[in-house]
Amino acid sequence: MSGHDSKYFSTTKKGEIPELKEELNSQYKDSQDSNPLIRALAVRTMGCIRVDKITEYLCDPLQRCLKDDDPYVRKTASICVAKLYDINAELVEDRGFLDTLKDLISDNNPMVVANAVAALAEIQENSHMPIFEITSHTLSKLLTALNECTEWGQVFILDALSRYKAADAREAENIVERVTPRLQHANCAVVLSAVKMILQQMELITSTDVVRNLCKKMSPPLVTLLSAEPETQYVVLRNINLIVQRRPTILAHEIKVFFCKYNDPIYVKMEKLEIMIKLASDRNIDQVLLEFKEYATEVDVDFVRKAVRAIGRCAIKLERAAERCISVLLELIKIKVNYVVQEAIIVIKDIFRRYPNTYESIIATLCESLDTLDEPEAKASMIWIIGEYAERIDNADELLESFLETFREEPALVQLQLLTAIVKLFLKKPTEGPQQMIQAVLNHATVETDNPDLRDRAYIYWRLLSSDPEAAKDVVLAEKPVISDDSNQLDPSLLDELLANIATLSSVFHKPPDAFVSRAKSAVSRPDDDYPDGAESGYSELPAQMSDSVPAPTSSSGVSQASTRQPAPAPAAPVPDLLGDLIGMDNALVPTDQPTTNSGPPLPVVLPSSTGQGLQISAQLIRRDGQIFYSMLFENNSQLTLDGFMIQFNKNTFGLAHAGQLQVPQLPPGSTARTLLPMVAFQNLSPGPPSSLLQVAVKNNQQPVCYFTDKILLNVFFSEDGRMERANFLETWKSLPDSNEIAKDLPGAVIHSIDATIERLAATNVFFIAKRRRTNEEVLYLSVKAARGIPFLIEVTTVLGTPGVKCAIKTPNPEMAPLFFEAMESLLR
Amino acid sequence: MISQFFVLSQRGDNIVFRDYRGEVPKGSAEIFFRKVKFWKGDEQDDAPPVFNVDGVNYIHVKVAGLLFVATTRVNVSPSLVLELLQRIARVTKDYLGVLNEESLRKNFVLVYELLDEVIDFGYPQTTSTEALKSYVFNEPIVVDAARLPPLGPASMFMQGTKRMPGTAVTKSVVANEPGGRKREEIFVDIIEKISVTFSSSGYILTSEIDGTIQMKSYLTGNPEIRLALNEDLSIGRTGASVYDYNSSSGGVVILDDCNFHESVHLDSFDVDRTLTLVPPDGEFAVMNYRMTQEFKPPFRINALIEEAGALKAEVILKIRADFAPTVTANTIAVSMPLPAYTTRVSYELESGAVGQTTDFKESNKKIEWNLKKIVGGSEHTLRAKLTFFQESHGNITREAGPVSMSFTIPMYNASRLQVRYLQIAKKSKSYNPYRWVRYVTQSNSYVARL
Repeated sequence: MSGHDSKYFSTTKKGEIPELKEELNSQYKDSQDSNPLIRALAVRTMGCIRVDKITEYLCDPLQRCLKDDDPYVRKTASICVAKLYDINAELVEDRGFLDTLKDLISDNNPMVVANAVAALAEIQENSHMPIFEITSHTLSKLLTALNECTEWGQVFILDALSRYKAADAREAENIVERVTPRLQHANCAVVLSAVKMILQQMELITSTDVVRNLCKKMSPPLVTLLSAEPETQYVVLRNINLIVQRRPTILAHEIKVFFCKYNDPIYVKMEKLEIMIKLASDRNIDQVLLEFKEYATEVDVDFVRKAVRAIGRCAIKLERAAERCISVLLELIKIKVNYVVQEAIIVIKDIFRRYPNTYESIIATLCESLDTLDEPEAKASMIWIIGEYAERIDNADELLESFLETFREEPALVQLQLLTAIVKLFLKKPTEGPQQMIQAVLNHATVETDNPDLRDRAYIYWRLLSSDPEAAKDVVLAEKPVISDDSNQLDPSLLDELLANIATLSSVFHKPPDAFVSRAKSAVSRPDDDYPDGAESGYSELPAQMSDSVPAPTSSSGVSQASTRQPAPAPAAPVPDLLGDLIGMDNALVPTDQPTTNSGPPLPVVLPSSTGQGLQISAQLIRRDGQIFYSMLFENNSQLTLDGFMIQFNKNTFGLAHAGQLQVPQLPPGSTARTLLPMVAFQNLSPGPPSSLLQVAVKNNQQPVCYFTDKILLNVFFSEDGRMERANFLETWKSLPDSNEIAKDLPGAVIHSIDATIERLAATNVFFIAKRRRTNEEVLYLSVKAARGIPFLIEVTTVLGTPGVKCAIKTPNPEMAPLFFEAMESLLR
Repeated sequence: MISQFFVLSQRGDNIVFRDYRGEVPKGSAEIFFRKVKFWKGDEQDDAPPVFNVDGVNYIHVKVAGLLFVATTRVNVSPSLVLELLQRIARVTKDYLGVLNEESLRKNFVLVYELLDEVIDFGYPQTTSTEALKSYVFNEPIVVDAARLPPLGPASMFMQGTKRMPGTAVTKSVVANEPGGRKREEIFVDIIEKISVTFSSSGYILTSEIDGTIQMKSYLTGNPEIRLALNEDLSIGRTGASVYDYNSSSGGVVILDDCNFHESVHLDSFDVDRTLTLVPPDGEFAVMNYRMTQEFKPPFRINALIEEAGALKAEVILKIRADFAPTVTANTIAVSMPLPAYTTRVSYELESGAVGQTTDFKESNKKIEWNLKKIVGGSEHTLRAKLTFFQESHGNITREAGPVSMSFTIPMYNASRLQVRYLQIAKKSKSYNPYRWVRYVTQSNSYVARL
């Protein structure tokens, strides 16, 4: 049976054109076969031959099949239109296939309707033209089709309709009425898409009765979805998380269904916990606390930590329940399970911030666990508590002193907190002990550290204390703003966007679609490309909720993190010249051996810690002594000690690659490391037009690979031997054809002084040839020899002191001009 | 829509791989498996079913120890993909009789033929075994089911009771019997999964029943079927609180919510609680329901842990079966986590205990107690003496438990939902197919706190 042959043709052959033509002829014949199955298979197979030249052959049979008597043929042909559109969109539009497809929405066969809607929706998504607009006419057509359609088609229709904006409340109510029966469907996808549709229309409905009624109707089906397979439960929970942020009433009475079952997979438990916090209220808090307490003694460490944090978040959220929450936390501390205690201390610190001067009586209990703390965040929290309440803790100085002994080994987070705490202690109890401690800590923090944050903060305190202790009191002991509950942490505009994307991947990742959708077909066509286009580096560890649950602080502790970097209200004006001032004012205080490792301007951040899972990387290509280096700064803001760093560069225009191993020491949490990575050029060349894009991948033993992109500035390739003689310059200028001359205005550049500029440019291997004056303009002639000895002859024209520089160049390689201008602009900035 | 579909074995071998759109690179299966296997760096945590690596979205379900995976680049409905993956698994099982690595490998031609009909250009077409029959022509190669562990919800009937024609549910819906004619039969299974949480004082904190009426028809000619449920069945609880146990409901069965298969006609459901349907071939859920109405839990658990001198403690576990003596539960497993500093456990079973085993694994610090069967009305006790390597922190009950229990009880349903009768439209007088209406209750999360 030839129909069978063609079936396997689509999966096996994607071969040569002559062969194809032959095959097509047989397909063409098949498409007129008397057996509908064979007709359908023929059209399906033809759609799979993804060769542009062939598409013409496809049109006639496709036209016929779209109007075939047999629904199986029509439904196959409908999808084929989408396939064809993918290869040749114009052809589809020219041949009127779209209109035929729209007619098929009213077909009497459910599968044809489903595929027609699916095909139209996909075509619309890939087109900028309004092809499949939902008008009130198509709306009623689709709503009718909804009842006739297959379950999959119902999902397609509901998703297509969710883009429709009803004209008024009445129309919205009508739509909702037609959609509500779908909530009873056994297919989870249908139910969730119906929920999306109803939520969307509810925004327009003004009658509170109708809204309340709808909320009531949506509740049981949503709960029923939680009886599905755990995989589906996970998707539903992520969606419910969004829904309750907008419409908490829907599930306000159903908190019990979110209680964790002992056999739930961990990813379900984590999501349930999150929703329990959101639904916790004064009414149900006792029940909820009982659950949290139970979870806090389970086996899974991540889950236990999250449960403990959840108790703290409830305390912050519900003022009237705070005391009960705290007593549960104290009970948990008494079990003396190390990670429970540490987690509890972290949340208690937040509770103190939320309810100042209320629960300090428990500090004594907290202090009992002092020596078991080994996690930076817990230590930092405890130190914060001691510093903040130093006047009420009799032996605060002894406690802080015990931490001070190991100051050098502590991660930055703890060091910073300890510094601040000791300053607080000193201001509150200016006796001999604290005075010695403060000397010691300031000495450590300024002399023995490489961490600029710590050093700067220490200097600020130092100066404050030495110049005006009263001002220091005002700054350091200033009253802190009260933090608030963060369980609705999504930004309202993001929440709006995510709610519009309920029942899609976007609502599972809690990221807007354009953050992870990349229709990069080119990724496949270039097999040597290690980095698919537009791959978002940070999303490999989605969902964020899961991955940040442990190490990264939730935003409530984010607030207190801000308090960690405390002296925010420090007087702004004297800060810039603080150091110079200090040196002049009191020599005795100033350390003589400035650490040299931190010299040089700050590097631009290329991988923020939010996308690097706590790892922040700043980097820049630099040239030093004729050699290119990648100057990098690693900052570990995660909770893990990171080691085993490796680096990889993607192919790039200049073929930059690393010449040696990446030398990064083990990075404990909170620490930083700098390194100079020697680079070689022309190792790793990518074809195509010149681009300044440098794609980098960094990995370590603890985290997955993270990707970031950097910019290659051409000036790192400017070689030391680029100086030209005047005569040589003129000769070269003349010898190059005029088509090789390119000029560009550099609006961001400015020259204040000719001599200083010449000197500065020479330091970057841009060499001065001659200058002249043209009325009020200065004209400079310069030369550069870039990578592989390509000469650039430069004429720079500007008015001194006014922004905007005209730059004209002549070079044998004009395609490099854009990159050159980019480099020039950065040098003259 | 979806770009690729593939099935991986537990070891990560590619059993089935189909690319529908050619927009995701070929190495996706390996990338997926590595990610799932080492989620968060260890092998313990399950990866969430939906995640994104380098712009490719991976969506997967675990069925019968196999990973069914779809990849996509666009913002699809994940629940649609998950549902589709489950359906593919079910259709494949309908066709092959058993779903496992061996049956998939032996039938790969048929499986690829199915996949071509089920999905076109990434869009689900039909997942109904009935509809697929007209387009799929390969015959399944039947794998010997007897030596394989049975799978799927209906497999629970294979244990214990001999009345159940267990092998029937593992036969293919399309393959003919070796003898020639197919046996005319229909299976209706009422499967209930119950979740109960007891407080330390024995009160019921939460309880829930997730039920399914599952049907698998081997009837030729697809006759119409009427299925009658309890006449007084009511749906949707009134009043403010769903968990208001005080509402004395008498003998009435009240469901919180239910949904039906699309083939079900509900015309007379509101009148006399009967469902009319023409069952398509293959296994499908006629009705799913959920109930939080108070019900009598089949087992009462009594657990006690007490310190008995320095570095010692004693655990007493009591299980009482609160159902009729004519019913027998089987494959019961009770487990209780112990304090982390437990080093040794010695067990003491009741005298004359048969078919009971106990275990303690150093690695997970749990009492494990397995009972082959428990007859209704009986009570079983286990005593365990624990040895610790350090003192407890004071409150030993907080460091142990909760006790969890798993079991299967055939011919028992906790909700009291009944199939009053199952009527098959008769083609002729002699037409009298076998009808199997079976009840079974399984534990979902059955937990007693200490």
